[in-house]
Amino acid sequence: MGELSDAEDHLYRAVARLAERGPFVEVMAQAAAGLSIHFDGHETSFQAPARLRGAIFRGWTRTGWAEASVSGLDPASLKFAEGALERVLVHRPAHDNPPGVSSTARIDKATPMRRPMQDLDEEYLRNLAQEAFTWTTETADVHETRVQIGWRVEDRLYLNSTGARCNQEICRVRATILPVAMENGRVESDRYIHGGVGGSDILDGVDPEKARKAAERARALLHAKSPPAGKLAVLLAPSVTGYFAHESFGHGAEADQFVRNRSYLKPILGQVVGPEILTIVDNGAYPGAWSEIYCDDEGQPAQRTVLVDHGRFTGALHDRNTAAALGALPTGNARRSDFLSRSLVRMTNTYVEPGENTYEELVKEARNGVLLEAGAAGIEDPQGGQIQLKARMGHLIENGEVTDLVSSMALSGRVLEFLASIRGVSGREDFALDTGSCAKGKADFLPNAAGGPYLLASAVVGRA
Amino acid sequence: MSLSRPGDAAAFRVGDRLAGQEPWEVYGERIRRYEVHFSGDRVEMIRGPIALEGYGLRLFRRRDEVTGVGHQASNDLTDEGIRAAAADAERGARYASFPTSQLQLPGGHGATGGIVEVLDRGLWEYPMDSLDSFVATLRDTFEGRKEVAPSFGSVRATLSEVSICNSSGLRTGYGHTTVELELGVKAFGGPEGPAPGEFWVNESDRRLRPIELPQRVDEWCRYAEDVRRGRPPPTGEMAVVMPPSVLAGILPIVFGGRFTGAARIRHVAPTAGMRLGAELASIHDDGRVPWAPMSSPVDDEGVPQRRRTLLDHGAVSTILYDSLHAGAFETQSTGSGFRGLSSSFRSWYRFLKPPDVSASTIALDPGTGGTDAELVESAGEGIWVQQIGWSSPDPLTGAFGGEIRLGYRIRGGKLAESIRGGTVGGIALAAEGSPSLMTRLEAIGSKASLSEPVSSPPVLVRPLVVAGE
Repeated sequence: MGELSDAEDHLYRAVARLAERGPFVEVMAQAAAGLSIHFDGHETSFQAPARLRGAIFRGWTRTGWAEASVSGLDPASLKFAEGALERVLVHRPAHDNPPGVSSTARIDKATPMRRPMQDLDEEYLRNLAQEAFTWTTETADVHETRVQIGWRVEDRLYLNSTGARCNQEICRVRATILPVAMENGRVESDRYIHGGVGGSDILDGVDPEKARKAAERARALLHAKSPPAGKLAVLLAPSVTGYFAHESFGHGAEADQFVRNRSYLKPILGQVVGPEILTIVDNGAYPGAWSEIYCDDEGQPAQRTVLVDHGRFTGALHDRNTAAALGALPTGNARRSDFLSRSLVRMTNTYVEPGENTYEELVKEARNGVLLEAGAAGIEDPQGGQIQLKARMGHLIENGEVTDLVSSMALSGRVLEFLASIRGVSGREDFALDTGSCAKGKADFLPNAAGGPYLLASAVVGRA
Repeated sequence: MSLSRPGDAAAFRVGDRLAGQEPWEVYGERIRRYEVHFSGDRVEMIRGPIALEGYGLRLFRRRDEVTGVGHQASNDLTDEGIRAAAADAERGARYASFPTSQLQLPGGHGATGGIVEVLDRGLWEYPMDSLDSFVATLRDTFEGRKEVAPSFGSVRATLSEVSICNSSGLRTGYGHTTVELELGVKAFGGPEGPAPGEFWVNESDRRLRPIELPQRVDEWCRYAEDVRRGRPPPTGEMAVVMPPSVLAGILPIVFGGRFTGAARIRHVAPTAGMRLGAELASIHDDGRVPWAPMSSPVDDEGVPQRRRTLLDHGAVSTILYDSLHAGAFETQSTGSGFRGLSSSFRSWYRFLKPPDVSASTIALDPGTGGTDAELVESAGEGIWVQQIGWSSPDPLTGAFGGEIRLGYRIRGGKLAESIRGGTVGGIALAAEGSPSLMTRLEAIGSKASLSEPVSSPPVLVRPLVVAGE
C-alpha cells in the first residue's frame, strides 16, 4: 500500500510543526486492504475492507492528552486535524513532559509472505470456498455449511516528536468452515477455523479432514445430552484454556485497571497465586500468531511479558501512562482499535504455557467431571475477580474416561479459587492458539489470540 | 430534524455520480462524535469532535435467476474515490450471487417514514456542553456517598446525519443521536466485610437524561453493594424472573437470527402457525419505539420501519425481510435491513458493511402478572436475575446462558439475599414441541419498560437450570 508512504511527508511535517507548540506530539496513520468471501450454497458475497484511511494526532497539554482524528490522508484533511490539535496545544500549553517513556524506535516491518495474498482474486476465493463447502455437506443431517475465507492487510505508520518511526504492515488470513446440522427442527453447529499472520500459504494448511470432523460433531450434537450442573472437575480444552488465560490474567493484568484501583490482582502482584505448573504469558512478538504486532500504537516494540511465572503473579501489561504511574516500563500493549479510537492497554497473544501432563493423565485425574471443548466466549470482572467462559460443547468424564457428548455450557467462578484448584496442565503437543477478537467494554475490537494446552481444575458449570 | 445541507449529504453526492450504473443504492453518514472518559472522579480524557463522513454503495447485477450484489465502503468523496469504490463493488458483483431476480428497491422522493423520536435536540446543538453537564451531574450525584464511588467510565455521544438514495428515485435522510454510557460503580468492603464489588453499567440510549441520574445512581449504588455481598445460588431447576435488561441480551439476537428471510432461505426459519411460545407470549418487532436504539423512520435501505407481530399468543405470525430477501420470496420488505450489526453490538458508524436482515426492537406485550412484587410472589421460590455477564445467545441453536453478575434469591414469595456468581441458561427458542424459555413463560408483568432493543415487562420462567453451590 502506497497511501501511507504518500502521506508520510505531510505527517512528518505536521508532527514537526505541532512539536513547536508542546513537549510531545505523535501521530498514527492507518490504511487497509483485503478481501473476504462468504459462501453457503445459497448466497455468495464478497467483502473488501472499507476504503477508510485516516490518522489520529495526540499531544500532551496542561490538562493531559488531547487528540484529533481525521478520516482521509490527503493534505487538506491532515491540515484540518493538525489545526484542531494545534488550537488545544496553544489554549492549554503543557508545563511538563508527558508521563512515561517516549519511543525512539525505528521499525519498518511487514508480514513475511511466501505467496502474497494480493495475488488471489475473487475467482480463486470462490473456487476455494466452493471446494471447502463440499467437504462437509456429504455428512448426513448436515443441513448447510457456511464458509468464510478472507484476508486483511493493515498498514500502520507511527511518528512522534522524539524521532520514532514505526511502519508495520500485517496480513491476517483466516478460513472458517461452519457446518450446521438439523433434525426435527433442532439446529446445532460446530466450526473449524484455520488462520494466522502470513500470506496465501496459510490457506494451504486448511485441512479437509478437520472440516469433516466439525460436520460430524455438529451432527452428533443433535443427540447430545444436556451438560451437568454444579461444581465439578473441569478439563479445559486448549481453546477454553485460552479464554481462561485471556479473561483471568489478561484483562485483570491490564494495568489501566490497576491505576483505576479496579483490579483484584493489584494487591497481590508478586505473590504466589497458583500452582507451580501454571505460567501465563502475553506475547505480541509471537511469530505468525493472530495478534502478532511489531510495535504498539505508542511506538514501543512488541514483547513477551510473563504475567504468571510458575504460579507467581509477576507482571502486568502497560502503556506509557500506566508504566509511569506504577514505576514500570511500557510492555508494547498500547493499542488503538483504529484511527478513530483512543489508545488503551490491550492484550495481544495470551496463553497458558505447556506443562508436563498428558491428556490421558488429566482425564484419569479428573475421574468424574466434564471436558469443556470449543471455547465460544468469555467475560471478566476485573474488580470482583470473577470469570465466565462458554464452551459450545463437551464430554462427560466418568470414572476416569471420556464418555457422552454434552451440549453448550458456561463455567463461572472466582479466578483465585479456580487457580487454587488447578491440578494439571498438558504438554506442548496439545498447545494451540486461536484467531479471535476482543472488545474492551462494548467497543474497541482488536484481533486477539488466546490458547494453551489442556488444563484441569474445578469450577461451577451450567447449561448455556 | 432535516439534514443540515440535504443536497450535500454523502449518499446524494455519491448517487449523483453513479448514473449509468443502475441498479444501485448508497447509504451515507456524516458523523460527529464526542467522548468524555473518567477514572474515579477525575476526567481522564476528552475526545472530539471525531469527524467522519463516509458511504457504503451497493451495485446489483442480475444474471438469469440470481443477482450479484457488490458492496464497497469508503470515506473518499472525490470523483476519483467514488469511481474506485464503484469499481470495487462492480468486481464483487460479478462473482457474487444472491438467489433472486426480483429485487425491488424502495422508490420515491421524501419517503421519510414519518417522525420517530431518535434525536436529542440539546445534544445535537450543544454536544460538548451537554456531555460536560451530564458528567458534572453524574459526579455530583456520587458526592457524599461513603461506601460507593464510580471507578471508571465514559460517556460517548454520536451525532449522525444519515442519507440514503437509490436508482429507483429514493432520496431520504434523517438525523439521530446515540449515547453510550459505561460506568463501573464500586462498593468498598471494610476490613471486616466482603471484598469490594462493582456493578457495571453498560447501556446505549438515544439521549442524555441527567434529570434521571439521582434515582438511577441510587439504584446502581444499591446494586454495587448487593454485588459485594452476593453469594452463588443453589444448583437445580427453579423459577427465574428476568427483567427487560436481561431479556435485552437474549431475545433480539435469537429472534433476529431465526425470524428472518435469511433464516428462511437456509430453511431454519419457523413457519406461520408453529407454536414456539406459551399462549401468553405475543412478541413484536417494532422499529418505531420512541428513543429505542434500533428505531428510525426508515431502515438502512430507506424502507419505512413498522411494527410486525412475530409471535401471536405463542404462534408464529410473520418473519422479517430486507429488500433482497423479500425479492427471493416475492414479498415486500418489512423495513428490516440494518447495517453495522455484529453479534450484540452496533457500531457507531454503520456504512462500512452492507445491510443484513435483522430485528429492531423486540416488544413483548404486557401480561397479567402484575407488579414486580406480584411476579416474585407468583414465583414462590427461585431467583430474580438482575444482570448476566454475557448471555451469549446463539442465533442458530437458540442456546443462551452466562454468569449471574447480580441476582436475588426469592424465598416465600419475597426477594431475599443477593446472588453473585453461578450460571443460568437454557434454550431461548426451540423447535416446536420442545421446552424453551419461550414455552416456559409462566407469567408476564403488567408494565413494559424499554431496555436497549427490548420493550418488555419482567417475565417469570419456570423452570430454568441454575448452577451454583
